[in-house]
Amino acid sequence: MRQFFLFYKGNSGEIARNRLKLALISDETQVTPGLIEMIRGDLIDVISRYADFDPGQVELRMSRDTCSDDVLPALCARIPIRQFTRLRNE
Amino acid sequence: MSEVIVITSGKGGVGKTTTTANIGTGLALLGYRVCLIDTDIGLRNLDVVMGLENRIIYNLVDVVEGNCRMKQALIKDKRYPNLYLLPSAQTRDKTSVSPGQMQKLTENLRDDFDYILLDCPAGIERGFQNAIAGADRAVVVTTPEVSAIRDADRIIGLLEGAQITQIDLIVNRIRMDMVRRGDMMSVDDVADILAIPVIGAVPDDETIVISTNQGEPLVDTACTAGQAFYTICRRITGEEIPLMDLERQQGILIRISQFLKRA
Repeated sequence: MRQFFLFYKGNSGEIARNRLKLALISDETQVTPGLIEMIRGDLIDVISRYADFDPGQVELRMSRDTCSDDVLPALCARIPIRQFTRLRNE
Repeated sequence: MSEVIVITSGKGGVGKTTTTANIGTGLALLGYRVCLIDTDIGLRNLDVVMGLENRIIYNLVDVVEGNCRMKQALIKDKRYPNLYLLPSAQTRDKTSVSPGQMQKLTENLRDDFDYILLDCPAGIERGFQNAIAGADRAVVVTTPEVSAIRDADRIIGLLEGAQITQIDLIVNRIRMDMVRRGDMMSVDDVADILAIPVIGAVPDDETIVISTNQGEPLVDTACTAGQAFYTICRRITGEEIPLMDLERQQGILIRISQFLKRA
């Protein structure tokens, strides 16, 4: 515990801010972590028809869309692809 | 022209009652006729924070039920010009009054007062619905903590749903030393997340505890919290003055010691 304080630089405000932002998005959209998991499962099924990738590497989370003036909730997916299989087969 | 302002937060313990007491007192000091209403039926506290607990005869529920006239229930605070308190009932519950009755009650007070401040109970149930029923505008109080801000966000949504368009934010209990070292969200961080205008920020100041102990609002005193509340009062009346600079309010000795600590 003492070590923790010695090396503690102080950034819990930043942590609080990020946690809060995610909590508010999930409150607003009523998208629970469980629902995100379901979407992730379906997404993996669909993408695997077209590409070869590691399902463990798939990242899916709620965020804010800052591109438009009206700030909307956005679903962000990151899927690293090894190879697109569909293109090769055709 | 009179204004009915509800002071609310969602979460309990963030300083609604203290804020109501100090804003009410400050507005009375600025020369306005002010009526404070404690809408927390069953858990009354504004009376003790104001130091008027020994003078209660009738209460809010008595007025609504017609057991007394409004004038009999209003307690005049003799320390300030034109400051009155309508205390809450301690032995009843929130269902003793309906939103319609609250709306009528505040409407009846408009002729006699410039500002009617409603101290809202914690929560989003009947007590909250009662408190916002007659309000023209709202002041949301929060602290720079995850739980308080999340509740404030929910409250802002409910206020907007109830067609209350003017909603201002007070960030209470801010500690600039913690903000500086990155361990507390700043006023700007909170404002950014909640996306409503900031009407004031109040530092975490031990004089607040002392003033509550004594039952004397500190809005007219020289301490930083007192000055912060005074600035808020002037901004509520529409005066265009900047937020109080919390950094510059510290004493020279504290600032030297902080400088030495950082060096």
